[in-house]
Amino acid sequence: MTAIETTAPGTSRARPSFYLKYMVEPYLYLSPAIVLIALVMLVPLAIGISYAFQSVNLLRPFQTGWVGFENFQTLWSDRKFWLALTNTFWWTLGSIFFQFFLGLGLALLLNTQFHGKRLVQALVFLPWAVPTFLSALTWAWLFNPTIGPLPHWLAAVGILSEPFNILGDPNLAMWGPVTANVWFGIPFFAITLLAALQSIPGELYEAAEIDGATVWQSFTKITLPFLAPMIAITVMLRTIWIANFADLIFVMTGGGPANSTQILSTYIFTTAFRKLDFGYASAIAVALLGLLLLYAVILLVLRRKLVKI
Amino acid sequence: MRGLIGAISAMAILAGSAAHAETLKLVEVITSPERTEVLKKQVEAFEAANPGTEVEIVSLPWGQAFEKFATMVAGGDIPDVVEMPDRWAGIYKDKLVDLNGYIADWEYGKTLTQKTLDMGRQTDGKTARMIPYGFYLRALFYNKKLLEEAGVSEPPKTMEDFMAASKAVSELDGKYGYCLRGGPGGLNGWIMMAATMNGDNTFFDADGKSTLNQPGSVEGLQFLIDMYQNGYAPKDSVSWGFNEIVAGFYSGTCVFLDQDPDALIAVAERMNEDDFAVVPMPVGPAGKAFPTIGFAGWAMFDTTKDKDLSWKLIASLSSPEANKEWAKRVGVIPIHEGAEQDPYFKTPQFAGWFETLNGDQYVPTVMPTYLEQFGYFADSIALETSQEALLGQISAQDLADTWAEFLTEEYGRWKAAQ
Amino acid sequence: MSALRQSSPLAVTGKYLALAFYVGFALFPLYWLAKIAVTPDKLIFTEGTALIPSRFTFENFRTVLLATDFLAYFRNSLIVSLGTAAITTCIAAAAGYAFSRFDFRGKRLVVAVMLITQMFPLLMIIAPIYKIVAAVGLLNSLTSLIIVYTAFNIPFATFLMQSFFDGIPKDLEEAGMIDGCTRFQALRKIILPLTLPGLGATLGFIFTAAWSELLFALMLINSNDTMTFPVGLLTFVSKFSVDWGQMMAAGVLALVPSCLFFLFIQRYLVQGLTSGAVKG
Repeated sequence: MTAIETTAPGTSRARPSFYLKYMVEPYLYLSPAIVLIALVMLVPLAIGISYAFQSVNLLRPFQTGWVGFENFQTLWSDRKFWLALTNTFWWTLGSIFFQFFLGLGLALLLNTQFHGKRLVQALVFLPWAVPTFLSALTWAWLFNPTIGPLPHWLAAVGILSEPFNILGDPNLAMWGPVTANVWFGIPFFAITLLAALQSIPGELYEAAEIDGATVWQSFTKITLPFLAPMIAITVMLRTIWIANFADLIFVMTGGGPANSTQILSTYIFTTAFRKLDFGYASAIAVALLGLLLLYAVILLVLRRKLVKI
Repeated sequence: MRGLIGAISAMAILAGSAAHAETLKLVEVITSPERTEVLKKQVEAFEAANPGTEVEIVSLPWGQAFEKFATMVAGGDIPDVVEMPDRWAGIYKDKLVDLNGYIADWEYGKTLTQKTLDMGRQTDGKTARMIPYGFYLRALFYNKKLLEEAGVSEPPKTMEDFMAASKAVSELDGKYGYCLRGGPGGLNGWIMMAATMNGDNTFFDADGKSTLNQPGSVEGLQFLIDMYQNGYAPKDSVSWGFNEIVAGFYSGTCVFLDQDPDALIAVAERMNEDDFAVVPMPVGPAGKAFPTIGFAGWAMFDTTKDKDLSWKLIASLSSPEANKEWAKRVGVIPIHEGAEQDPYFKTPQFAGWFETLNGDQYVPTVMPTYLEQFGYFADSIALETSQEALLGQISAQDLADTWAEFLTEEYGRWKAAQ
Repeated sequence: MSALRQSSPLAVTGKYLALAFYVGFALFPLYWLAKIAVTPDKLIFTEGTALIPSRFTFENFRTVLLATDFLAYFRNSLIVSLGTAAITTCIAAAAGYAFSRFDFRGKRLVVAVMLITQMFPLLMIIAPIYKIVAAVGLLNSLTSLIIVYTAFNIPFATFLMQSFFDGIPKDLEEAGMIDGCTRFQALRKIILPLTLPGLGATLGFIFTAAWSELLFALMLINSNDTMTFPVGLLTFVSKFSVDWGQMMAAGVLALVPSCLFFLFIQRYLVQGLTSGAVKG
């Protein structure tokens, strides 16, 4: 803060007051975002969450009644809910784990020089551009032994005893959607991490090399810290999205067989749009919301502790 | 002077109301491109016969039709006329107009088969919430070539023959007996087997309890479980839906398929007509078979602004000529009497269904779609539990008990509301 | 990476192998999609597992382009996606900048609210949104989709832009402001050019998110004129059969705009920061 402020004659440039700077200016930048979200999402969100405390049938809107925590009590003793919760956990963990590490590897590769880089970059981005409905159908196709090659290849390699459709096997079914999800999600991490990698100043690496650092050392001491904020954001958001991501599972297995691939999100869908019980569906959604909030808080706290930037 | 002004304004009003086109909204829910073409043509004929009327057709994608329509209705975007499958009638019944009065005054009302009228009134037995446009009746498709290869001389007539024939075909490499529908929409198969082995297809006994866990019914459920666990049905079939079973049939993977006339269209396109035939479902120990019968029809919502005009549209679509054309393209059995005399329906393929309709030992089973939660039962509860049974996670008795419990409760609720 | 380190031939081979694996993995299902698109109907099931169909046909593409409404669907999707991408990026850049540069009262709350909008399943709020859109009279219009998509994508885009802004030292605007321009001018002239990779990434993501969105397009749009192409894909699935050939042909065609868009913004994505922006 300069003590003496000189302004050239003729210009009237008042220094923004502290109040303006602290309180109002940020909101000027934020206002379009806030307005839009408030109008379009917050009100429906509030309504949606409120369903959890009511008994709501979609087609009989006048028969709603407030039932307090009754839906949640039913939820607690619902065997299918706990099954779906476990499945959601494995689904999310499996998908994120493979997507992230493979995506990171791809980003690191793309950050180097090689022939045909622009072409490769465009090609590896394609999976993200395919509508999930279509990619789910394609993967279901690939896993079907009558019309797809994968079961035969897997059997030839020895992973399967004979070519059959893993989507029909309760123990293996989840791997189908997970594979499709990994295929779909690698570009997401690759692109975001690549963009972050691009912003790391090159001199840092040169300086490190001169100092004799190994590849691993420059990776952990330079790359990772710069990437950490981006990693935190993308992993958190992607996990939240995956937990809510019903499309692939719905199209590939429908939640079956025998609920082995039923995740909370598909359970919410069938409760809301087949049983038309929006109250109970909302209760499940609120439970999921609570868990995801917890996860986000943990992640943010971890990030603050581990990252010094 | 005043008279002149009055006359002119009267004429203006008249001209205005005539020029103002009446628009009706028609929603179709079992959409497919060829069907929409036929519907458009029939609607155009209606528009031509009623100048000044415009009909807007909204076609919902078949896979998402239920939730999309529910959202539309909940959001207030309610059509005048809608294609109403039997399963949905139980849910929307309170919003649909009673058509009995219109039918009574209709010139073609008398040629409607009794079954049509009964089904239209199924929600409570009296109010005609819709006019069905045709029936889906189950019969047994079989692959002639495969049966010959397996050494089975003729199609099965009894359940034992059925199991034996399936076993024989399964001995062939890579071939299976039954195209089991273990996935979505498979409930009809289970109910048929249960009823056939039980010798009775009433769903609820005199006390209002479900008959599904009676010993005979459990035997029927066990029949299908054995079929799967013995390997007479493909391992993947636990999650097979409509497309998969039909594909399994015409690709020659499994030899028996129980389906409605609409599957005939898909099969006939891809198989030589000499390679397959259709016979009635095999009979059980009581000498009877109970193929399921379903239907869809046209209904009118009570929020329509012009009930008479909406009725005219429904009547036009349900007239004998229009209905016959529709039934052919859609693959259902038409609703007016005398339809089986039409050359299209006299083919050997259709013989299976008409034999079913006309034979005494074949008693059509009507699913209890008047129960409000029946759709949810069929699509969720029955699906998941039947898969668990096929996979050996629960027994046939447990399966039957779960179903019986749910249905008994639903029935009780329905009865109380009557 | 630095140019000083000599890469061993082993490392280089390894690198190309790894790249080949990634490209192969990404392209394989798409190859299959294209394969089905060029297989004649009758052979789709019988030749299912073959790697190359015995006969090719471009009939499916012709039908999709000429006999269905797909060109209109593509046009609609293009309008919605470009609109959403442009508007969202602008709004998110502003919001991301605010998060990055300011520490203000209520910041935590706004972030929390943004996160929460991502956590609640969209299908639960379809019904209220439907009613609101219907009440405003925007049902069946592309505008409603643009608005809804923008609202839903703002949180992600904001966090993304925030990360990029975080990577640029604050001194840069301070330097600019001391030199006499307003913060906004500093933002425009100095900072934004440096965040081109970020803008590029954001545009790319929002475009594809809007391009392939299914749920809201399905529920909010009824008429054929305003249908977007993912919903159009659903019309290939009917009770009797799934028109695989045509559906896959439409899918292949749909990849073209996404690919083109991404090629276009690639230029901005690969630009790195020039070192030495902040002297000393």
